[in-house]
Amino acid sequence: MDLTHFTIKKFNEGLKSGEFKALDVTQQFFKYIDERDDEIGSFLNLLKDEAARQAEEVDIKIAKGEEVGMMAGVPMAIKDNMLIDGSIATAGSKILENYRCAYDATVIKKLKSAGAVILGKTNLDEFAMGSSTENSAYKKTRNPADVTRVPGGSSGGSAAAVAAHMALGALGSDTGGSIRQPAAFCGVVGMKPTYGAVSRYGLIAMASSLDQIGPFAKSAADAAIIFKMIAGRDDNDATSVAMNYDDELLNPDLEKIKNLTVGVPSEYFVDGLELEVRRGVDEAIQKIKSLGLKIKNISLPHSKHALSCYYIIMPAEVSSNLARLDGIRYSPVTGVSRKDLSLLELYKKNKSFGFGPEAKRRIILGTYVLSSGYYDAYYTKAQKVRALIKNDFEQAFKEVDVILTPTTPTRAFKFGEKTNDPLAMYLSDILTIPVNLAGLPALSMPVLNEANKHKPTELPVGFQLIGRHFREADILGLGQFYERI
Amino acid sequence: MYVMAPITKKAIEHLANLSRLEFSNAEKDKFVADLGNILNYFQELEAVNTDNVLPMTGGTSSRNIFREDEFLGDSFKNKKNIIESFPEEDRGYNKVPPIF
Repeated sequence: MDLTHFTIKKFNEGLKSGEFKALDVTQQFFKYIDERDDEIGSFLNLLKDEAARQAEEVDIKIAKGEEVGMMAGVPMAIKDNMLIDGSIATAGSKILENYRCAYDATVIKKLKSAGAVILGKTNLDEFAMGSSTENSAYKKTRNPADVTRVPGGSSGGSAAAVAAHMALGALGSDTGGSIRQPAAFCGVVGMKPTYGAVSRYGLIAMASSLDQIGPFAKSAADAAIIFKMIAGRDDNDATSVAMNYDDELLNPDLEKIKNLTVGVPSEYFVDGLELEVRRGVDEAIQKIKSLGLKIKNISLPHSKHALSCYYIIMPAEVSSNLARLDGIRYSPVTGVSRKDLSLLELYKKNKSFGFGPEAKRRIILGTYVLSSGYYDAYYTKAQKVRALIKNDFEQAFKEVDVILTPTTPTRAFKFGEKTNDPLAMYLSDILTIPVNLAGLPALSMPVLNEANKHKPTELPVGFQLIGRHFREADILGLGQFYERI
Repeated sequence: MYVMAPITKKAIEHLANLSRLEFSNAEKDKFVADLGNILNYFQELEAVNTDNVLPMTGGTSSRNIFREDEFLGDSFKNKKNIIESFPEEDRGYNKVPPIF
């Protein structure tokens, strides 16, 4: 069975027509993972028994003639910062090495009700902090397009799983670009929904005002299917919003899409933009023009302040969210004995052994910007600048409907290239960060070459489509038409 | 706007204590260097005019959501997993060294 040609749509057709059984496909995926994942390193944990059970349930339903939805039997990979009842969730950290989840994240509950098959948990930068997955305490994940290069981060495992055809779709989380950047590096589709569109209940929190869960997929059409299924108001997440997403998400109207105006902000075409990225994005713009859409030059003047703004607000929230991790509440830390230690000493030992260097760096930075005497100078100032950045977008959306930018300044870099200089690593998110600050939805699409198929030897380039709040239909719609050209 | 003093080793030690972390001397030195660079980069925010701008307080400017303060019953069914992960357990409680 050729797993590489599957999309969710094609899989669903084959399943319903009886061409294959869900259990057979699931087993084929696991066999393929056995062959491929030693080299790629996407998965931290495989859930073979559960997955087989989930697939069998779907087959039984179909045999009985019962209705099954688009996600039934779809083999999915889940970033290891989302909770699945009864299985381990590490968040890529040693401090949660033995943490057995006590409940399902809401997105997991939704996937299970839809009959999706969860293959396993994927690798990530520790607590979603990083842009290369090199900060995982467990293993390296390699970019399937070039295994000497990083897959991006922090959702590198999920992006690589889809790119390497080891899953049909995946979930990641995005706080400053952690879905979009690895999607761009690996050559797959990745979307960060509007803040509030998808429940964060059961997502191990990084920065609560920025985090969102979103899909990785091989096409915008597939990403739309996954997104529609995981979106929705949840009483367990007070920041989630009851949005009525209807058919336009899955079946966009070409005439409506043609009437969208696309804005291209000059500030995003920075000096440091790699030539191949600039070329790729220009190609994408030309293709979109050929669809009949108007392209307009716009300005987002406060863009250059987004990095500072983000690296003040995010660590502040991180330092607060990670305080709960102490080697006592969720999981003991291997190698730390509590004998003869006071509580304070135990906290320090557990945290110092359990957290990696980047996590510690951000906790210290966050503690600093929130500390007495510095709070106004840093944190309050950053929140004001955030309001200005959000306002830039609001002004721009008065003239355009969708904003198009490169997703990343460069294509995937080599392992170790940016690990010595934290600031250099942070700069790889410079084009994705403003979107999280403003809470907007954004989609990264791989630039397709002339034959409409990504040449496997080339390093992928991604472009980003940013929409108004809750207008995922605009960006997914345009994405779906782009990929049909 | 005041100019920030460069970050010192003493400051790192204070922050480490606040966040319940401990560092070797080499780690402290690296922090002083790395954080110094990062905080230096932040100085560019001083040039942004934020007079009369209200700071954002969260992910959106949407209004707050409330519910009645009523007991919803013991809805959490899965205490077993939580209790089993306690390093030391006593009658369902997480046993820790004395706080004082």
